[in-house]
Amino acid sequence: MKILNILLLIFPVLLFSQDDLFSEIDTDVADEFETAAFKGLKIVNFESTKMISNKELYFVVSHRFGSVKTGFKDFFGLDQAVTRLNFIYGVSDGINIGVSRSSFLKTYETSIKLRLLRQKNGGSPFTIVSFNTLLINSALEKENLPGLEFDHRLGYTVQLLISRKVNKNFSLELIPTYFHDNLVQLDEQENSQYSLGLGGRHKLSKRWSLNADYGYHLNRAENSPFKNPFSIGFDLETGGHVFQLHFTNAQPMNTNGFLGQAIGDWGEGDFFFGFNVSRVF
Amino acid sequence: MKNKKNKLVALLVVGLIGINMVSAQEKYIDKNGTLVFEASEKLFEEVKAENTSVTAILDTKTGEIAALGLMKGFRFKNSLMEEHFNENYIESETYPKAIFKGNLIDFEFKSLSEIEQKLTTTGILELHGKEKEISTILTIKKIDKSISIQGNFAVTPEDFDIEIPKIVKNKIAREVLVQLTFNLIEK
Repeated sequence: MKILNILLLIFPVLLFSQDDLFSEIDTDVADEFETAAFKGLKIVNFESTKMISNKELYFVVSHRFGSVKTGFKDFFGLDQAVTRLNFIYGVSDGINIGVSRSSFLKTYETSIKLRLLRQKNGGSPFTIVSFNTLLINSALEKENLPGLEFDHRLGYTVQLLISRKVNKNFSLELIPTYFHDNLVQLDEQENSQYSLGLGGRHKLSKRWSLNADYGYHLNRAENSPFKNPFSIGFDLETGGHVFQLHFTNAQPMNTNGFLGQAIGDWGEGDFFFGFNVSRVF
Repeated sequence: MKNKKNKLVALLVVGLIGINMVSAQEKYIDKNGTLVFEASEKLFEEVKAENTSVTAILDTKTGEIAALGLMKGFRFKNSLMEEHFNENYIESETYPKAIFKGNLIDFEFKSLSEIEQKLTTTGILELHGKEKEISTILTIKKIDKSISIQGNFAVTPEDFDIEIPKIVKNKIAREVLVQLTFNLIEK
């Protein structure tokens, strides 16, 4: 009985020592926005739903070499590179603007990217971003095209990027696109064109991911020599960089270019090696 | 027998009052404490992040202290680094919290004043699913009704099984310095 008395007396003390101070401040992790569905600003060719944060500046250098089909003659395309230099600035976390110059048709481009909706645990199942560009083709020469007006140089893209980070490793994106070229190479090709893009990213390890995208052109002219672009590649992430290395059958890097004027053909081993490297400032 | 039963009841009542008295102790809390960690290497980009919504609680009767920081609350200078931190290093989806549970050794509420005191703290820091004992000296003072606690300590990524890939090994310091600032007020 004595022991019981003692036990009862120290009972509150025992109880107290089990009562964890930490439990008074412990919280459940609140609903958070899903982060990093894609690491690069592009999946491969298509724009991803990744946004640049407020006041950050990105510099992206992209190359698409010539066709690997040429073999050693051009060192698998190394001699025929198309280059694109692109600056993107984060006006805010949800608004990005960009300018670029591509050596494909000496194209200048400006873009505006707006985030409309963000995927959230317990909220929206998708991230939706609108991507819009204006392109100026400065390669057209008046000597070759006597009726050439400035308008003819212009092209536009309006895209909706709808992405979902399905799980920790896998993200998907659907890209309905409307694009318009004031001047098309084939008479039969309508100036206003539509396409549906599909892209995905699968993480292989903490720093590597496998990326692919495909664009299905919905109203390509029947006699068009151009192909739908399919690309596959890897992302390598380090602290401040993302390196994207890939193979694609489209040499142009602007939306109207890779959707409308991809000339490579995977079936014939006619595709291009390329990379995108981004640097944050 | 009846007598004994009464005695038992009486003891239980005393015990229950005791529980109440023990739990009605004074606790001080800060919900917006700051944690800063830095793992920068000279000549390379600054690797530094700040979390300004860390919660800390101090039991002024016992000197027991606990703190909670959410990994996603750390802000880096550059958001890509922040993404990498969450996704590849700290894996905040799987391990969202950093938890500290410890004691301020020789803590006495009465002796707190505006004059800084240095007190040794030991405890367990849980991070990335791993636990490590931390011991450091904290500076404590009491101004009006708030208790201010400041200090720092160093940890290494290996302590918590955080893998640093070769490619960035020389850009991230081997030791990570953590600074803490809390201003606790009575709960």
